[in-house]
Amino acid sequence: MKNLANRFFIRKASQKYKKTFMTKSIPLLQSLRCRLIVSVVIIEIVMLSILVLNNISIIQTTHTDRLRDTASSMIQQIANTSGSYMVAVDYATLEDYLKNVTHYRELLYLAIFDRDDNMVISLGPFPQKNRPHDDISPAQTDDEIFDITEDIKVAGQPMGKVSIGFSLGIMQDAIKKARIRGISIAAIEIILTVLVTVAIGIGLTRRLGILSNAAAEVEAGNYSVTVPTEICDEVGKTAIAFNRMVSEVSNRSQQLQRAKSRSTKLLRENRQLIHYSLEIQEAERKHLARELHDELGQCLTAIQADAELIRDLSDNDKRIETSAVAIMDVSSRVYDVVHSMMHRLRPGILDNLGLVEALKDEIKAWESRNTETRCNFTTRGDLSQLSEHSNIMLYRIVQECLTNICKYAQAKTVTISLQNTTEKLLLEVRDNGNGFDIKQHNKGLGLIGMRERVESLNGSLKIKSEPGKGVGIFISVPLS
Amino acid sequence: MRLLILSGYILLSLFTSTGLANTNRHCSQFGPITFGILPFVSAEQLVIRFTPLVNYLSRHLNTQIRIETAPNFIAFSQRTTKDKRYGILFTAPHFYPLARKAGYRLIASVDSPGMRAVFVVPKASTIQNINDLKGRRLATVDTKSLATLLIRKHLNQHNINPDKDLNIIATPTHNASLLSTYHGVTDASALMQPPYAAASQQVRDNMRIIAKTQRAPHIPISVSERISKSCAAEISHLLLDMTSTAEGRQVLEHNRFSGFRLSSAAEYEKFSEQIFHP
Repeated sequence: MKNLANRFFIRKASQKYKKTFMTKSIPLLQSLRCRLIVSVVIIEIVMLSILVLNNISIIQTTHTDRLRDTASSMIQQIANTSGSYMVAVDYATLEDYLKNVTHYRELLYLAIFDRDDNMVISLGPFPQKNRPHDDISPAQTDDEIFDITEDIKVAGQPMGKVSIGFSLGIMQDAIKKARIRGISIAAIEIILTVLVTVAIGIGLTRRLGILSNAAAEVEAGNYSVTVPTEICDEVGKTAIAFNRMVSEVSNRSQQLQRAKSRSTKLLRENRQLIHYSLEIQEAERKHLARELHDELGQCLTAIQADAELIRDLSDNDKRIETSAVAIMDVSSRVYDVVHSMMHRLRPGILDNLGLVEALKDEIKAWESRNTETRCNFTTRGDLSQLSEHSNIMLYRIVQECLTNICKYAQAKTVTISLQNTTEKLLLEVRDNGNGFDIKQHNKGLGLIGMRERVESLNGSLKIKSEPGKGVGIFISVPLS
Repeated sequence: MRLLILSGYILLSLFTSTGLANTNRHCSQFGPITFGILPFVSAEQLVIRFTPLVNYLSRHLNTQIRIETAPNFIAFSQRTTKDKRYGILFTAPHFYPLARKAGYRLIASVDSPGMRAVFVVPKASTIQNINDLKGRRLATVDTKSLATLLIRKHLNQHNINPDKDLNIIATPTHNASLLSTYHGVTDASALMQPPYAAASQQVRDNMRIIAKTQRAPHIPISVSERISKSCAAEISHLLLDMTSTAEGRQVLEHNRFSGFRLSSAAEYEKFSEQIFHP
């Protein structure tokens, strides 16, 4: 059953491979199959050509050497034997002897010349008109006949010459047959090699195609894919490893997915918590400011009023008057402190006049504290309809930015821009101060606080800065 | 008339001058001269033996002299008498009278008391004398050879019929005859003494001479009628004078000749008469 399923998968995978892999029109020279076949065929052709040429050369050399040795041996034998007959001028006996010893297929002619160079014996068609010249080797003849001549000597005395000629036809036929046989064998071997290589190439690349296809499926996120592993060769082992890898990737991916979900949930909860925390913080600050205003403010006003009354009723008693004035001063100072605390806890102007006026007030106060820095504040769009939460968050962000500029930037100019684009609210705070390396200073508490406030508004925060080139803080908050 | 006389004089002068010219031609004016040697040993042995002599003559006569022989005695004899093939002839004493009839002129002969044939047997053979040869195999050379004629005469003189009392086996050469006995193919061998003396020491050490024939005149050297008198005289003089030079003596030593001397045709005629008509 499993095998059946595997075969089914192979067929389906092959079809799919053909549809996807083949239709992707891989250039011919990049095709593994094509390269494999072409490489093997080229190597085969080159090696077989060398082999065939070498064999032909060896055969030619062997035949040439054989004929030369045969001719040399024969002419030496005839020259040695003919001497006595030549001395005795016994040509008839010599001719009989030569007829008996020269039954050789390749021998074309044999001629014996006496000391006056007269031909005394001729066997075979000796070329009478153009007497042949001696050839060095059967491979270097000019008339398809290997001609050689040898002196006939007896006891060192010249008695004549023997000249023999061998037809090269038989040798050339043998070489030709050997050449045809060698080329035929080489051609058959090349054809067989091509067929086998094509078969192996198709088999190999088909399974590689299945693997490639499965990898593409995995890449697309389908971890349920498996490749058949019924053939246990290198590709089969790769397929087993691939299946194992896919299974592992699938498990890890699922784990990752679960971790991601858990992390996302935690992040969401964390953001909600921060949001809630900030809301509580602001609400507490607001409540504290109101309490200070309502309770401590009334008390201080009462103390002030009572101190004034005491001063008025002191009847010029300097001690009473002085004490009353001191109480008035202290209460006034306490009131300023309390007022300042109330402002920091919850600027009343924000609730009364809105974000823009609160920011202008804050900027003005900040400029009064930092007289060497000029701050430009611009707005665009309707900013009066923002929620209370957005107002306080944006206010706190600008407040934090100005605090940071005061502490670190030593800037000459600060530009604050706030605009409503109907889709989102954009806040930009730029300065031309010292700047800093973001990679080293992006985790300060101030920045983390700003980021938390932005995230509580579901917005995004970007910081751009380089040492010596100031800082730019860009905040985008969706209005929807 | 005067013109006719003048023409006749010119023709006579030309004829005479041609004849005289032929008579007076030196050897250097001839083309290659063939030195015909009787095939008493193998052709190769002949060449080995006579090449120094031929080269000596060639050098001093300033012409090319070539050794030539024949397949056998009969062929040599025919080439001598019918074809007159050889310019210089080195033949057996008993053949010279025939050559003389063909125009060959005797110019010298080997200076020696004469040649004789010897009967040799293996050293360990039971054959002690010529009478022990009866019923045995005796190797000789060609039937027309001097050796054969001498031994036949010698056998006859000892009342042994060479055709009935023993088995005479003809071999191509003296060496072949000697070696057949040496190797045990024949019981005894009869050959001329000079070739026996020229055989290898090893062979001779294992052989024993049991009899010697009468002497025959040594080899005559003659020239054909094609050779001019002047050239014949040159050759003769050169041969006779060989002992006077170191080079000549060296050549003679190689041939085992003591020298050459003048001889008369009558000497050979007489010997021939004796040998053919005992």
